[in-house]
Amino acid sequence: MVLPTLISVILLTFVPVLSSFFIAFQNYDLHDLSNIHFIGFENFQAVFNDVNFNFLRILLNTFLWVIVSLFFQFVLGLGLALLMKKPFKGRGIYSGLVFYPWALSGFAIGLIWAWMFNGQFGIINDILQKIGLIHQNIGFLSDTRYSLMSVIIANIWYGIPFFAIMLLAALQSVPLELYEAAEIDGAGYFIKLFKITIPYIKPVIINTVLLRTIWIINFPEMIYAMTGGGPANSSNILSVQMINKIMNFLDFGEGAAIGVMIIIIMSIYVIIYLKIISREELTF
Amino acid sequence: MKIIEKFMKFIALMLYLLLTIIPLYWIIITSLKDIKEVFVFPIKYLPQVISFESYRRLFAFTNFAIYFRNSLMVALTASFGALFITMFSGYAMSRYGLKFKRIILIGLFFTQAIPSFLVLVPLYTMFAKARMLDKLPSLMILYINIMIPFSAIMAKSFFDRIPISIEEAAQVDGCSRLQALFKIVIPLTLPGLSAIFSFCFINTWNELFLAVMFINSDLKMTIPVALNSFVSKIGVGWDIMSAGIVISLIPTLIIYAFAQRYIVAGLTGGAVKE
Repeated sequence: MVLPTLISVILLTFVPVLSSFFIAFQNYDLHDLSNIHFIGFENFQAVFNDVNFNFLRILLNTFLWVIVSLFFQFVLGLGLALLMKKPFKGRGIYSGLVFYPWALSGFAIGLIWAWMFNGQFGIINDILQKIGLIHQNIGFLSDTRYSLMSVIIANIWYGIPFFAIMLLAALQSVPLELYEAAEIDGAGYFIKLFKITIPYIKPVIINTVLLRTIWIINFPEMIYAMTGGGPANSSNILSVQMINKIMNFLDFGEGAAIGVMIIIIMSIYVIIYLKIISREELTF
Repeated sequence: MKIIEKFMKFIALMLYLLLTIIPLYWIIITSLKDIKEVFVFPIKYLPQVISFESYRRLFAFTNFAIYFRNSLMVALTASFGALFITMFSGYAMSRYGLKFKRIILIGLFFTQAIPSFLVLVPLYTMFAKARMLDKLPSLMILYINIMIPFSAIMAKSFFDRIPISIEEAAQVDGCSRLQALFKIVIPLTLPGLSAIFSFCFINTWNELFLAVMFINSDLKMTIPVALNSFVSKIGVGWDIMSAGIVISLIPTLIIYAFAQRYIVAGLTGGAVKE
């Protein structure tokens, strides 16, 4: 009964992953199909040396995209979960309304935010002017200074519900007796939060952050929809560049090379993350 | 003091709600505006008249009804397919002392971390060799495959929660193992199975890159592919685009509204248990 699952996963996931490692070392260009052959590390060199593609900049963007998004998704998601922890009238409906972004596609959300960030008719420009924060329209997505910030804001918005859902469920599993004991000792809100709540739900936090980091590294849809990585690579990250290489340039070799880099970076991250976590768990 | 605290909490909750709702509100309002009001300065937060002109133009200028049908067919087939396959796999992993069970589970977790776009290239060349590009059934197969790891893990955890003694009791009463599965266990896991189905539907309905890569002809496009083509299509402005986006959101929002409780339980079940 497990066989269909295994066949499917091996044939359509494991084999392709392995063959993408081969393609990464081949000259594999859809414009030049008669000329597919092994070229060693040339694809990787081409990625590093591409003048139109500042590799260091994109690496830095990728880190910012992951770390800043993750940090605010976590903090704001935890905030929302804490607010929703105690029952209140209409909590069911409220959670339905506030968690809905989770069900929508990153691509559609990206398009919606692109329209909101629009330099001429965008609602964000209008609101910021009404509160007096800016005095003339900003081309959020067409200005190299703002593009990365704009896509990150959209990503934060998109990820809050996921954290809130996971953390809310965890919060509700904290035994109330723990709080009662602390209250007798005169503990205030923040002491309870940092001494009881967070340590108790730490395993969930560790899991969720790990899952979400991997997910954000591999989430090109939103940037693809909003800026395509531009202008001038200012909002480009590795996964988006990979999509661009494959879709726009049909250069499968270089695309696969970037994919291999993503897999390597991801693996290093997971290994380090698990090392740090288990050491901390031991001292706990 | 208590009242101030409550009031602050209320304000914070409303702020979250407002920030969450604005994008959805804005895209719906844009789609319901008359075209002149979409591109007007200062921008209008409420349309003067509700107009379905953008929707009319969407269906007149593009084959959006066909894209919708394609998306629906692909998502439904893939979700039922993945559910059917992983129902049995999940049951087997939960009940039988399989060889290599740990390795299989780790493998499934591992594949979950590999997003489909990383294997776009090999899949594309594989399907090109089999002459299966630009075909909706290819998309269905690929989508079933994407959904299998998570669904199988979820199905296993749902079956784990059903005590084996219930089945044994049924078998004592003369049920075969298969009868016990279909008459006792599956009805009990129905909430879990509908969570898996909803999860699959939402993810396959939303999938973009595989579809863009594999589908070329206009009449086979799914909605994300169509929206992607609108970005560069001459004559498609934000008025038509917004109508297309709103329609693309409706099915997943409906599924989400019905299954939210089960999905949340399914998502968090594993995490909280540990």
